[in-house]
Amino acid sequence: MLGSYFKNMGAPGVYFPSLILLAFLAVAALVPNEFYLNLFFMIFMFAGLSGAWNIIGGYAGQISLGHAAFYGVGAYTSAVLFAKLGLPPVLGIFASMGVAVVLAFIIGYPCLRLKGPFFTLATLAVAEVLQLLAVYFRGLTEGSEGLSIPYEPAWYNLIFESKNVYAVLAFGYMLLVLVITLVLERSKLGYQLTALRDEDQAAESLGVNTSRAKIAAFVLSGALTALGAVIVSQYVLFLEPHSDFSVNVSVELALMSMVGGLGTAVGPLIGAAILIPLGEFLRAWVGGGIQGLHYVIYGCILILVVMFMPHGIKALVENKYKALVDILPRFGAAACPQPEEEVHLHFESHEAVTAKEGRPLIAAHEVSKDFGGLRVLSGISFSVHPGEILGIIGPNGAGKTTLFNVISGVYRPTKGRVEFDGQDITGIKRIHQVCHLGMGRTYQIVKPFGNMSVLDNVMVGAFCNQAGSATAREIALEVLALVGLLDKKDQEAKSLTLANMKRLEMARALATKPKLLLLDEVMAGLNPNEIDEAIKLIRDIRDYGSTVIVVEHVMRAIMSLSERIMVIAQGEKVTEGLPREVIADQRVIKAYLGDGFELA
Amino acid sequence: MVFLQVLINGLFLGGVYALISLGLTLIFGVVRVINFAHGEILMISMYASFFCFSVLGLNPYLSLIIVIPGMFLVGILIDQVIIRPIRNAPSYMQIFATVGLSVVLINLALVFFSGDYRSINLAFAKQVVHMGDIGISLSRFIVFISAIVVAWLVWLFLDKTDMGKQIRAIAQDRDAARLMGINPNKIYMITFGIGSAMVGLAGGLIMPLYYVFPSVGAYFVLTAFVVVVLGGLGNMVGALLGGLIIGVIDSLSGFYLDPALKEMVYFVVFLGVLLFRPSGLMGMIGAEEMGLK
Repeated sequence: MLGSYFKNMGAPGVYFPSLILLAFLAVAALVPNEFYLNLFFMIFMFAGLSGAWNIIGGYAGQISLGHAAFYGVGAYTSAVLFAKLGLPPVLGIFASMGVAVVLAFIIGYPCLRLKGPFFTLATLAVAEVLQLLAVYFRGLTEGSEGLSIPYEPAWYNLIFESKNVYAVLAFGYMLLVLVITLVLERSKLGYQLTALRDEDQAAESLGVNTSRAKIAAFVLSGALTALGAVIVSQYVLFLEPHSDFSVNVSVELALMSMVGGLGTAVGPLIGAAILIPLGEFLRAWVGGGIQGLHYVIYGCILILVVMFMPHGIKALVENKYKALVDILPRFGAAACPQPEEEVHLHFESHEAVTAKEGRPLIAAHEVSKDFGGLRVLSGISFSVHPGEILGIIGPNGAGKTTLFNVISGVYRPTKGRVEFDGQDITGIKRIHQVCHLGMGRTYQIVKPFGNMSVLDNVMVGAFCNQAGSATAREIALEVLALVGLLDKKDQEAKSLTLANMKRLEMARALATKPKLLLLDEVMAGLNPNEIDEAIKLIRDIRDYGSTVIVVEHVMRAIMSLSERIMVIAQGEKVTEGLPREVIADQRVIKAYLGDGFELA
Repeated sequence: MVFLQVLINGLFLGGVYALISLGLTLIFGVVRVINFAHGEILMISMYASFFCFSVLGLNPYLSLIIVIPGMFLVGILIDQVIIRPIRNAPSYMQIFATVGLSVVLINLALVFFSGDYRSINLAFAKQVVHMGDIGISLSRFIVFISAIVVAWLVWLFLDKTDMGKQIRAIAQDRDAARLMGINPNKIYMITFGIGSAMVGLAGGLIMPLYYVFPSVGAYFVLTAFVVVVLGGLGNMVGALLGGLIIGVIDSLSGFYLDPALKEMVYFVVFLGVLLFRPSGLMGMIGAEEMGLK
């Protein structure tokens, strides 16, 4: 990261923002005016704090309305340790962050496993309860009267005589959060968070442990918030439960990210740079006389941004910024833009075998699935050997997709067992575990990560067995070349045509390097040419070493692809055999067309 | 005997929580929006009741004829002006919008009415009927009975009337309901109105008992969040039951532990529910969407 930063120093996309940051630092270090120093301190601190919120709220898309809990706990922990026990805040910071981490686990573990509004409700409630506790435990916190932090200037107390030092410290905090966010953005966890924000279940199917990723983001976010809170409290030197644990703090942090640009590294900076001066101005101009007016304006801004500018100011100025960067000169080694890397296909067959004998790759034994009183699958058994292509057909509502969902761990079977690669996977609790065992799947109703680029979509899959971004990128490019989406790699996934979305589904699953690939109606809605391409692609996939199960209605495709076909109707297995045997089978014809039809 | 008294106090208090939670859970079940400004509708209705009393001299029970339809309109307005344009946006956008509304309303109240605590002095509110050693506050009893009656009426409405059936259809499956010719926008609007009218009733009924101040809604609505999760989001019977349970827990922990810690106690209940039975006591509408099934 740091190496590539210095290597590209001459590129305007690198030196221009660096110069802006440097200018801020210079202002923080040199400006003598107390009013402006205070303003800059607040801007830097809130840019950092909102950046910390943005990790869980923006990147992971889990809206916390209780970051005041981390803020308050962080501020009080170090302040109480300092004021009552004399522990210098330089060490107290670690205690604060530790408490925040524990708190993030306590809230995150029950709530982040669930979708829906639970997390938001819980965070709101936690902040409120902590406020009450801060009032209640007067012995520690001095309750509602507030806790004064003794003014003892020293570096290890994080208390300084000069406001310039505070401003530089705040700048450092902002830079820390910014760098962490940028690193996160390019890391496995960053990709996983953005993916699960768009499509939770699809992310799980690509091997993302969504609960763990969300909890990790929350812990990081909470710890950084607590760190910032210590710096602010050593500046203000006074804590009070009703302001430090106030829901207004939580809303302000969210608001700044929202205004600047949710889920972007620079968004919180833009938000803070606009809202903090605005807030100061409103407080100075009208706030003196009328309590609460500036929050009325904050609230209105929040509503208006949501309704009219959901991607924030960053999205508005992005193009102008890029145009500006483009006309700036390049220097040194970065002088000539590097040519596009070429993609070499070396998608290796990991196990190019077609063993029709011996241990099957997957075997279902008497699998049944009930929904309430409705039996959707009853007693289905089948097995597939490595290197085979099995086709599954059946009329609408036969239970084909349910069968896929049972095999791939989305549903647990009511009865029966599923064995994959010699391992019983019936009791598996989480979908991502199935992916890690080597089973990839597509969804009949496509679930692209709409706001990510095509390449990034596939990288999420590649991260299933790869920790490093560079390798994941390489795998993703290969797979994209294989499915023929390479020229669209930088498009947003939601802008693709249906045919290409289906290709993307396949590409993502392939990037996990599956031993077994489940394809759920990948040809529905494609035109004849596209179907031919898809047939060839699936054959290629098999030749590269994956075993394939296809659910399909397009008979031409299923007949030419499958080595064996299994027919299910009304949740039961009708027959199984070679394609030409199966379509001549009277029971199959009956299943599709009812009684009274006979082969001419 | 003391225990029985505490229990009855808790049940009556639970009536207040239930009444507030019923509207919240109805809106969530149908419109699929957690209205974070729900508490502020309570606050507005309390102020409305207060001013009806102090300016017009209207008895708070009488002013319900104004407050309830008023809040119905406020609900419709919120739905049409703020929720409708972002109906299809990701759910966190709706969270932001209603949070923004809540911040605006609380602080507008602060600007116009200041942060003072206001109450109305009604002789009736202090009347207590003694049955043996047990005292029963009449005004609290009215709240309790209203909660049960309102829950029953809404259930009748949803079960028997044409409109009610449409609402339930939308709650179960938006797309299928739309294919049957139901206009979802109208249903969302009316549901938002009804849910808000219910909290309007709550505000009018508790005005003789509590102080009103700009952030009074936040105080009650946090409890309502716990109640609706406990009862199962979107479930009316669950909200009634959950409200009564939280009321009793509130009263017991306030008496036997410490009044300052009672929120702590039901927050522990809240986390416990999320850990062990996130679909709540009565199960939840749309539990599949939440990944609970």
